[in-house]
Amino acid sequence: MTETRAQLEFQAVLDAAVDAVILIDDRGHVETFNRAAERMFGWAAAEIIGQNVSVLMPGTDRRNHDGYISRFISTGEARIIGTGREVEAQRKDGSLFPALLAVGEVAKSQPRRFVGMLHDITIRNHALNALRKSESLLRAAQSIAGIGNFELELGRQDSAHWSDEIPRLLGRPKSEVPHDMDDFIRHVVHPDDRRRFERDWRRTVAELGQLELECRLLRADGDIRTFEVRIQIDSGAQGPVATGTLHDITARKLAEEEVRQSESRLTHFARLSTMGEMAAGLAHEINQPLTAIATFAQAATRMLASPEGISRDDLDEALQQITTQALRAGEVIRRLRSFVKNREISHQPVDCNRLIEDSRLLVEADARINDVRLEIKSALSLPPVNADPVQLQQVLINLIRNAIDATLETPGARRQVSIVTGLTPEGLIELAVVDHGHGLSAEAAEHLFNPFFTTKSGGTGLGLAISRSIIRAHNGRLSHRTTPGGGCTFYFTLPTLDALINTNQS
Amino acid sequence: MKEKIPTIIVVDDDEAVRSSLKLLLKSVGLPVETYASAQEFLDRFDSDRPGCLVLDIRMPCMSGLELQERLNTLHAMIPVVFITGHGDVPMAVEAMQHGAVDFIQKPFRDQDLLDRINQALEKDHDNRAGLKQRDAIRGRIADLTPREHEVLELVTAGKANKVIAGDLNVSQRTVEIHRARVMEKMGASSLAHLVRMVIAAGDETHP
Repeated sequence: MTETRAQLEFQAVLDAAVDAVILIDDRGHVETFNRAAERMFGWAAAEIIGQNVSVLMPGTDRRNHDGYISRFISTGEARIIGTGREVEAQRKDGSLFPALLAVGEVAKSQPRRFVGMLHDITIRNHALNALRKSESLLRAAQSIAGIGNFELELGRQDSAHWSDEIPRLLGRPKSEVPHDMDDFIRHVVHPDDRRRFERDWRRTVAELGQLELECRLLRADGDIRTFEVRIQIDSGAQGPVATGTLHDITARKLAEEEVRQSESRLTHFARLSTMGEMAAGLAHEINQPLTAIATFAQAATRMLASPEGISRDDLDEALQQITTQALRAGEVIRRLRSFVKNREISHQPVDCNRLIEDSRLLVEADARINDVRLEIKSALSLPPVNADPVQLQQVLINLIRNAIDATLETPGARRQVSIVTGLTPEGLIELAVVDHGHGLSAEAAEHLFNPFFTTKSGGTGLGLAISRSIIRAHNGRLSHRTTPGGGCTFYFTLPTLDALINTNQS
Repeated sequence: MKEKIPTIIVVDDDEAVRSSLKLLLKSVGLPVETYASAQEFLDRFDSDRPGCLVLDIRMPCMSGLELQERLNTLHAMIPVVFITGHGDVPMAVEAMQHGAVDFIQKPFRDQDLLDRINQALEKDHDNRAGLKQRDAIRGRIADLTPREHEVLELVTAGKANKVIAGDLNVSQRTVEIHRARVMEKMGASSLAHLVRMVIAAGDETHP
């Protein structure tokens, strides 16, 4: 049989088709079954031709298919022809797969014949499911993390797309979520943060750059929450496009604040307990001027009552000394108060030599009552460090107190503690407290910086642990070495203010 | 010998306390000297001068207690009034055990301090009077002849003339004469008086 050109062309189209192409007659019997259909259903064309096409269908469709055809033929009412729909198909081995089915009628054919084309949509469905899954995961993740994202096309009106989490985060119904960034800034950003937000936003848009800032946002109920906002501006076809995230960090901020506060309370507690240890020396330091005041005043009273009359010079001296000694006692109390006061940490340029001078009155009292000599060997001038002066003083006083305690058993000539300042070859400020005491036992050296480890009977064991964390917070290092000839030297190093600024800039 | 005027010596390392004490003592007409350290005081110390010490118990290098110990080893009899801080009561007790007259806590009422100083000056006066008497007795003992010295020892040991005569191998009459000379030279009114003087002269009667 010779095949016509049309037949050959038809066969080529059938063979090349990716979709299954199946021709049936008015009773549903398969007439043509192309290669793609063979691959899709696992039937060979030779096996299936002549069988009812319903074998390719599962369940209800298989039972009703003959009815579908006869209803169409008798009523002309098309349910599927020309529209196409998603169906379930069955392979020869019984397994099912989703397919998109399009059905057409072969024109001018007697008996009437129909053509079906099937497209396997297994992969598409998988992809769709994966997409749905991924979207729901994203929604859950956003909800758990308190993060929402958005996209704004800056050149187009009402182009804002906010993720589902955003209304929840902002405590507003979807309809009240801002429609653009100006609206967002005007109604959602906290008034105190508005200027900064707007300035940064404008700059980022102009630079097509990135923005990361912390600001307070207002919920509809007036509640204020802290957010981290990140925005990236890219150029799009219609103008700049902003994509970004809103991250509610209120809880984290609160936790950070709580940690900060309890650290500050602990540091303050350590300062108070250091002062407690120094109480005897300080009491003595205040009692001395009080004694002088009382004695001068009583001497003056006696002079006034004396029959020999008054020496103006003596009376003058008494009164002047009363003033001087009252101020001296006041100065001890002032230094004491400024050391133990609970206050906010504030970093400022600090001259370490000046710091030693400021601590001198307090530690000298302690040294004197313990009969320990205090020697100060400061470098002539030192560049300033960036520090909280009271916290640094706390570390210094703690180290000096430890040195004095370590010296208590030491005989006369070596009962000396030296405070030495200098600049290391690396350009760091070093402050060292040198004693000639009993040195450190192996056990003490190992546990030195552990909280609650102490070798003193009344010690809290917090001094060195807190001192080290203070120095760390100042970008410095606290350590110790053996003093040549015996004893221990504790020292800390700090970067200079200039070095700190340079690092931050680079 | 002319009686020297007693001086109050203040040793305190705190300049203000020191000069306030100086002014107070001056205002009641007491001669006063002040020193900033125990060593400075020791360098100038003259045990022949009457007076008393007002001593800060806490001082660097040599504390008040250490100075008291030094003075005790020097057999210096100058009475000490300690001035102490609030926390120094145990040290003050130790000072009392080592012979301090009294202690007073800073800050103090001037009258309390002056009372203690007067008490110390009295003690110094008595000490010095006792010392003077002892020196006088020792001088008299030194004036006895060797034989009279022997008789003194035996008499004050409680021996009867007869026993002494036997011990020295002389007549009882000779003993009586020596004994009368001893009583006269020593200025003793009775045997009991003589015994008291020998005790007051102390160990140094037997060189």
